[in-house]
Amino acid sequence: MKQNTLSYKVKQYLMFGGVGTALFLCVVIAPFLYGLYLTLTSWDGVSKAKPFVGFQNFAAAFQDTTYWQAMGRTLIYSVFAVILINIVAFALAYLVTSGVKGQNFFRAGFFVPNLIGGIVLGYVWQFVFNRAFVAIGKALGGSSVSLLATPNGAMFALILVSVWQYAGYMMLIYVAGFMSVSKDVQEASLIDGCTPAQAMKNVTIPLMRSSFVQCIFLSITRCFVVYDVNLSLTKGEPFGSSVMAAMHVYNQAFTYRNFGLGQAEAVILFLVCAIVGVTQVLVGKRGEVEA
Amino acid sequence: MKKTIALLLALVMVFALVGTSAFAAPVEVTIFNSKMEIQSQLEELANEWNADHDDVNITVYYSSDTVAAHMASRYAAKNPYVISMVDAKDIYSLGPEHALDMSDQDWVKDTTQAITVDGKVLGFPVCVEARGILYNASAIEAATGEAFDPAAIKTTEDFQALIDALIAGGMATPCGLQKEDWSLAAHFFASVYEMHDDPDAFIAGIKDGSVNLADDAVFNALMDTFDVMKANNWMKDAPLSAVREDTEMYLALGEIAFKYGGNWDWSDIKEFEPDENLGMMPVPSALEGYNDKLVGGGSKYFFIDNSVSAEQQEAAKQFLNWLVYDEAGQDFLVNTCALVPAFSNITLPVSDPLGASVKSYADTGAMVGNYNYLPDDHYAKVGISFQKYLGDQIDRAGFADEVTAYWATAEVGAH
Repeated sequence: MKQNTLSYKVKQYLMFGGVGTALFLCVVIAPFLYGLYLTLTSWDGVSKAKPFVGFQNFAAAFQDTTYWQAMGRTLIYSVFAVILINIVAFALAYLVTSGVKGQNFFRAGFFVPNLIGGIVLGYVWQFVFNRAFVAIGKALGGSSVSLLATPNGAMFALILVSVWQYAGYMMLIYVAGFMSVSKDVQEASLIDGCTPAQAMKNVTIPLMRSSFVQCIFLSITRCFVVYDVNLSLTKGEPFGSSVMAAMHVYNQAFTYRNFGLGQAEAVILFLVCAIVGVTQVLVGKRGEVEA
Repeated sequence: MKKTIALLLALVMVFALVGTSAFAAPVEVTIFNSKMEIQSQLEELANEWNADHDDVNITVYYSSDTVAAHMASRYAAKNPYVISMVDAKDIYSLGPEHALDMSDQDWVKDTTQAITVDGKVLGFPVCVEARGILYNASAIEAATGEAFDPAAIKTTEDFQALIDALIAGGMATPCGLQKEDWSLAAHFFASVYEMHDDPDAFIAGIKDGSVNLADDAVFNALMDTFDVMKANNWMKDAPLSAVREDTEMYLALGEIAFKYGGNWDWSDIKEFEPDENLGMMPVPSALEGYNDKLVGGGSKYFFIDNSVSAEQQEAAKQFLNWLVYDEAGQDFLVNTCALVPAFSNITLPVSDPLGASVKSYADTGAMVGNYNYLPDDHYAKVGISFQKYLGDQIDRAGFADEVTAYWATAEVGAH
């Protein structure tokens, strides 16, 4: 049988990738396209009629100030969360690969928060912020106001909980990065007179660049669409000052019943998230080096 | 071996075919429940019902989502429930397209709370609920040393005087307020519309600028009382961290005397072994004719989907009739679920003290009706403004401005 004909290649592809492709088309591409179509309607989410309105929803989305406030808030939250997640994750990874006693136990321990679902985690931390911290504050004679009751406090709480949740996960990628850096080059640099800090800065970190690219990409995309922790920890309170973009989109579509508008805002969120994520990967990849 | 298996499989399939045609499968009736506190009771009822009725199989579902959001996703998936329990406003928004006309049902004549849209009865009232101020009479009497008569507290001044007496009697912070947007905006603030003789005209007035909310008598009268509660709130230092269950617990234990809420609070309060001397009274205010009435009416409505099979619709109607006319059904509503029934033929005494208060006001007609046509985002957006007011971020004039700004673009539901 000829192996370089088109029909042979198509058959080969269908045999190995056909099922996956079909599923991907059905559960990702088709709903995505249908979603794009819905942005052009003023559907309310339940009625049978889906009146076609053209690009009105996009115009409305650009005028929706609460949406852009939520988007700005998401940006601030993401910047802080991404930086902190990666610093903490890198530090943890360094710790648990440096040969401390019981490092496997610590690896497992730091990873555990990631195994708890975001919703549960949010409720657990809500209890900690509203009860435990308040009780401690009262006992110490300080303020009895929960952090979650102030706009900045709620934002801080969200960032803290996200760092706690994702640092362990990113740590695993950094651990793999540390392990992949060959001991030879590290030793060579030390013999050549580098201090350990210089070796870290000039040898290990450049060689781990791909880990950084991956971790930053994962944390950016996750932070931009954060919803579960947002819902269970702050619910957007106090007075709507902690509503992130994804929560605003959900409320717009399902609670306020402006499905088309909500969908349009979701598409914009997707584009922003995609542009930021892809740019970061392109920039990051450019400087990748190999030993 | 293979042949035997093949033969067996073939036989099984044939039986399966015959089975479905010869013995009619029970009619599947799915019920969506949006009243969390009666979920286990409903599930138990479904089990009993299914044991007694071979021809019907009831399954009960619950979702903690907003009702409208959950319905939207079920209808988007073209997978509606046979019977859905929704809020009144959902009957107006979903009903005309999706609800079965129940005008021919017997129970229609026995209730004043059914929802009729365009001459068709689409909503079956599950219960009566009312909003007002919950009080703990034992705690009040213990602190003041005098008998407590809720009917004597008519105006904001009366209320303030009683609170002063309570504070003098040792109760430092006699009031409790919830921070939830639904309690603030959908319950308390909605009364501002409902206590106008013509809410539609009032809202239209806010929209076209002919009504200045900040000067409105009803708004100011109710906010005056709200301010009294706010100043004496047990969580006044951090009102936006108030946990609903804590407030209910303190009321039940008599640590505080008043909480703004409704008879649904009983489902939580009863967990704290409350004093039996609890009750509900109207929000005191300067509004003659309204300060002696609770606000409320039918709450939570069943509707039957009009796209399901005729057998399912029939079984659903049968179930609703059972609730109203069968003794077991009445017992289920009143005693098992502790609801205040919306049907005049049900005479069983209401078991919980808050429900009993509501029934006593409802029976004498001392009830201001719900305004069911507020937009879907009203509770969330006005709720945000109200939370700012509660948290001292804005003053009353600022609050009125934000609500007026909200109404600039919002539209009341069609009715």
